[in-house]
Formats: sequence, C-alpha cells, structure tokens
Amino acid sequence: MDFRLTKEEEEFRQEVRQFLQSESELIEKVRWEETLGTGWGESTKELLRKAGARGYLTPAWPKEYGGLDASNVERHIVAEEMAYFVGRMGAVGVGMAGPVILRFGTEEQKKTFLPRISRGEIEFALGYTEPEAGSDLASLQMRAVRDGDYYIINGQKVFNTACHYADYHWLAARTDPTARKHHGISMFIVDLDSPGITIRPLIGLGKIRTNEVFYDDVKVPVERLVGEENRGWEYLVAALAFERTWYAGENIYELEELVDYIKNTKRNGKPMADDPVVRRDIAQLAIEIEVARLFGFRIACMLDKGNIPTYESSMTKLFGSETAHRLADEWMKILAQYGQLDVGSKHAFENGRMGRVLYNRATRSLITAGTSEVQRNIIALQLGLPRG
Amino acid sequence: MDIDFSEEQEMLRKMARDFLTTKCPGTLVREMMEDEQGYPPDLWREIADLGWLGLTFPAKYGGEDGSFLDLAILLEEMGRVCFPGPFFSTVLLGGLPILHLGNEGQKRELLPKICKGELLATLALTEPEGRFDPSGVTLKAVPDSDGFVLSGTKLFVPDAHIADVIICVARTSQAAGETDKGITVFLVDGKSLGLERSLLKTVDGSKQCELIFKEVRVPSKAILGEVDKGWGAIGRILELAAVAKCAEMLGGAQRILEMAIQYANDRQQFGRLIGTFQAIQHHCANMATDVDGMRMTTYQAAWMLSENLPCRKEVAIAKAWASDAFKRVAFIGLRVHGGIGFMEDHDVSIFYRKARTDEFSFGDADFHRDVVSRELHIA
Repeated sequence: MDFRLTKEEEEFRQEVRQFLQSESELIEKVRWEETLGTGWGESTKELLRKAGARGYLTPAWPKEYGGLDASNVERHIVAEEMAYFVGRMGAVGVGMAGPVILRFGTEEQKKTFLPRISRGEIEFALGYTEPEAGSDLASLQMRAVRDGDYYIINGQKVFNTACHYADYHWLAARTDPTARKHHGISMFIVDLDSPGITIRPLIGLGKIRTNEVFYDDVKVPVERLVGEENRGWEYLVAALAFERTWYAGENIYELEELVDYIKNTKRNGKPMADDPVVRRDIAQLAIEIEVARLFGFRIACMLDKGNIPTYESSMTKLFGSETAHRLADEWMKILAQYGQLDVGSKHAFENGRMGRVLYNRATRSLITAGTSEVQRNIIALQLGLPRG
Repeated sequence: MDIDFSEEQEMLRKMARDFLTTKCPGTLVREMMEDEQGYPPDLWREIADLGWLGLTFPAKYGGEDGSFLDLAILLEEMGRVCFPGPFFSTVLLGGLPILHLGNEGQKRELLPKICKGELLATLALTEPEGRFDPSGVTLKAVPDSDGFVLSGTKLFVPDAHIADVIICVARTSQAAGETDKGITVFLVDGKSLGLERSLLKTVDGSKQCELIFKEVRVPSKAILGEVDKGWGAIGRILELAAVAKCAEMLGGAQRILEMAIQYANDRQQFGRLIGTFQAIQHHCANMATDVDGMRMTTYQAAWMLSENLPCRKEVAIAKAWASDAFKRVAFIGLRVHGGIGFMEDHDVSIFYRKARTDEFSFGDADFHRDVVSRELHIA
C-alpha cells in the first residue's frame, strides 16, 4: 500500500505540470472558448495538438499509435493535471472512440485514426442519444442497412454535442431490428461532412451548444464499421468500465479560486474568510473533493492491477459530478447577486464565467454519461440487489 | 500509487473476521452492553493469545512489531462485530501514550503486561465540556513534596471503571494564550486514594466513566514524558485514535450495508423483493458511496500515520467524513429494514446507536472541518 505517487510518477506529473504552466497564455484563451459555450475553437485545438505531440492525450496507448506506454495511474495523473490547469475538455476521440478502435478495430482503422487522435489532430462527436433513447440507450432506432460496399443510414440523434466542431461521428446505429435490442447495434465512424447529414444547434443552460443531427440516406463505407456487426453494445459498455472516472483536478482548481475569493472579498467589513460558517462549508467541499480524488485514483490503480472496475466506475462518476455541483452551488452562494451577471456584463466577476459556466452547466454532468439516477441503479445491481 | 493491502494483511483480516464472526455474535454484544465489566474474560484471554493486544508494540516489549496500518485492519474487523471489551482503550489510549511518552523503565514495566492481557488502561482527557483540544484541559496538577496532587473532573473516559492504569492529561501551568503548553501526562493507578470512578449509563452500551480526582497524589516517577510538555505527544495520540476509530466505524458501516443488501434480497412486499424497488436500490447505492469514502480516507490517513508522515489534514478529512457518513449509513440501513430495524434486539440498531457515539470520539465532524480549514490556510 502506498498512497503517494512513486518517484517516477511524481517526476512525470512535474513534467506535465511544467508544460501546462508554460502554456498559461494559450490556456487563458482555451478557458475563454469554454466560457462562450460554442465548442472547441482554434485555441483549444492548438493546445490539444501541443499536448498530443507530447503523448499527453493518450499516454497509456502503445507507442506505435502515439502513446507513451504509460500506466493507468500515469494516465490519470496527466488527465488530472490537465483538468486542473485547463478545466473540462471532454474529448471523445481520446476518451471514448479511440479506446474502442484500439481494442476492437481493424489494423487499417487503427493506423488511420489512432495516431491522429493521439496527436490531437482530429476529434469525434458521440453519436448515441436519440429523442426516444436517452437513459435507455439500447432502444436506439437509427437504422443502418447494408447495401454492397456501403451502409445506408437514416434517423435522428439529439444532444450530440461536438458535431459542429468535430471531424467524425462516433455513431451507434441499429443493423438488426429483429434481434433483442442490445444485440442489434453496430458502431460506425462517419465523416461529419458526409452528404445527407444535417446538424442543427440546441442551446443549453449556460449557453452551451449541443445539436440535433439528421441522417438522410447517408452512405457510410463498410470499412467504417468498427468491430463486428451487431456487437456494438458490448464495445460501448467495455469502453465505459475503462473510461468512466473523475478527474478532481478541475474541482481542486475551482476550490482554490474560491478560497482566494473569500480571502480577498469583504462582507460586513471583514473578509468572508473570517466567517466560521463559510470556512466550514469550504472545508466540507475540500473533504468531498478529496474523496472524489481518491475514488478516481482507485479506478486507475485497479486497472493497473488488471482488475476491472464494476460498481466503482459508476460510484466515481456519481460522486464526482455531484460534488462538483455542490461546489458550484457554494460559489453561487458566495458570489450572491454577482452570480446572476452573465458574460460581458458590467460588474461581472471574472467576465461572468462562474455564473455561466460553473453553475449553469453544473447540472449537466449529473445527466450526461449516465444520469445520477441511472448510476445509482447500476451501483445497486452490481452490489447484488435484485433486478426489477 | 497502490491502494491494495499486502498478502499478510489480507491474511490478518481473514483470520480476524473468521474468529470474530464466530466469537462475537449480536447476542454476546447485547449481553455485554448490559454487563458492567463489559467483556467476557475468556474472550480477552483469547485475543491476548492471538497477539492482538501486542500487535503494534515492539517485540522487545512483548508485542508483534506490527504497523499502525495492521492495527487499523484489525480494528475494522472488530468494528464489524462491535467487539465488546476494552481493546481500543487499552491499546490505543493506554499503550500508545506509554510507548510514545514513557521512559524505558515505564515501557518495560507496563507494555508487556498490556500485550499479555494482564493490564487494562485508558486515557482521561475530556472534561465536562467534552473537548479534545488543549484548552479543554483544566484539571489541575499541583506540585507537592515528592510528586503532584491532581484535582478536577474527567468525563466520558472509556473503560476507566475497570482500568488498572489511567493516563491522566492534566494542567501543571498556565501560559497566557498558549494553552498547549503547561500540560503534563500522569500514570494514575486506577485504585488511587481520592479517585472516584463511576460508570455512566449510555444509550449504546459503551462503557464511559466520570472520574473525580479529589487531591489524588501521584509520585514524580509516574509522570509520562516531561512536565509541561505533554501536549505534543497527546496531539499525535489523538490523531492515531481518531483514525483508529474511523477504521472501527468503517467496519460497522460496511456491515450495515451488507445487512441491508441481504435484507433487500430476502424481504418481499407487494409481491416482489423490496430490493427491486428503486428507493431501496438508491439507498444502498448511497450507503455504498459513504462506506467507500470512509474506506479510502481512513486507509489513506492510516497509511500516512503508519509511515510517520505529517498528515494532520488527511486525519481530519477521515474523521470528519466518517463522523457524518457512519450516521447516514446507520440511519438509512435501519430504514431499509423497516420495523424490525427499529427493534433493540436487531443488530442494525446496535450500530445505529454506536454511530451516534463514535461521531464525537476524538472530535466530531465540525471539529475536524475546522482543522481542515486551518490546513487549507483559509484563515
């Protein structure tokens, strides 16, 4: 047992940290792009390419695909540092599509996509959710019909964030409507500029853009089927066990900002940091963030020992996201009326970033990647409670 | 980074679990809750023979040379069954101060007896205000011809009514504004003249006592450590005790979770197992999250203490979380059982009461949140 990083792990962390510190100007611009909510802009893409060139986007991948053959703990360390210095990135190519291609793709697909994902040159948009398939994703209806060298795909997706700035759609579609629902789904890589694809914006709280996407007879070459037909659900679920985690770095950063704010802001003639109630609330958040941090490292440690997380992944995402929401809530409490000022307003604190980004978007992570309610269901079932 | 236990530690855990599951059923625990002494002497002898009392003491004093982390594992297993008896007080509150503060003579005289189960000990720290910080130490120790005279009251002292040795934290001098200076630690014979010991009646059956010191004379050779300089070591003992308590609480919380899952798989209402209802499923998921939070924070702090690393923040995080989480788990766990969970003769109600007692041991959640806020340099 050793709760500290090894000497090598610590050295690696310092190396990553130094890189991120050296890019502080670029990172300011990346944070601004995130604040706007319009998606990855040029600065974000530039940062990802720089990080990718060093292998930091996919450190645990084999070197031949751009990785560093790093351990899962080292991968977690990089992601935590990025979360601390840059904030939430949510890269799909790196986090969801890439790992499936790595495990289940053809050699051709691996060569075509993995190095470019690793170098931050391309991005994928998740193509899962539909109007009638949210939490019950396996009910998805988008239809892919084999026709010679192509699949012809028709249907509709919703809440497919990143479609407006990504290169490829990581698409789940039904190839066998006669099979039981989990056994008729296939995974495809689709060029987002394919004819027949229409992307329309949907704006969420905090002005964050997502999309509804329509497929009208879109032709996708058979080489773009990932793995075997009708086994897409397995790949999707396998990826989740490895990818569902939490990087407490962003919360640690936000808490440090909050501590800074209360030390420098007065209420009733005294710094808010002198208020014992405020101090206790912040201490409680620090405690919860530490639990979230340990949960995240637990996943990485398990993977390095060859143990597949079961309920631990859901628990980590559940607790991390709900802690982040409580932190956002505390920020809004502290900001009081200033929290209601949006980006660009006179008197807004930090350009209104906290109100728009932190609080208005904090609810989102309790819904995406499996709602809190679904995560609790999963935890319960994996702990041995009976199915309904 | 590695969060797994060693093979030897897993063996210790398994052996302890097997032994305790057999020897400490709920019936025994409930019987001992009513019993004044609070433990069966046979069981005490057995655990002494197993080397448990000496687990963390050096071999040269009759111990097993184990680490604090090993002890935490054992305590988790003891917490799982609500082990009845003065193990925590004798080992952590008695043995550790002697080990950390005692001179060679005191260690050689007392530690082997503790390891063999022949000496019971405890720490008298809290006074009527129930505080764990140095300002709470007001019991006076006044020098006389060949020692000190102790006067004052200690309250909520575990197992003091049966302790052979009571380690009393007293105030020998008062420096303005520096309450952690001027504290001296004394070895007091449990049968001392002038010492009135009485057992308090507690809701959870834990043995806690009031000690009234009426001019109790203590010879100079009974001082542990140096005059006026006792708080440093006591502060460290409190960190060890707080995390040790977290380990016990973790065992109890894990047990409640398992009982709830089992019950949800047995009990039927409305034609189906109650575990198929989402409310019950979500209760269990919430309990499991609380338990795992206890597990990660407790063992992080226990490992750091074992390695002698500075860890004031991590200790405070562990106890603050455990104080709140054990209560939540006990409350939800009881409700999952419905009416029978409310009955005194059901095991889950033992843990429900224990969680409210353990909440305050060595500082409640607010006390430790304040420690965290100081460690974060908010003030």
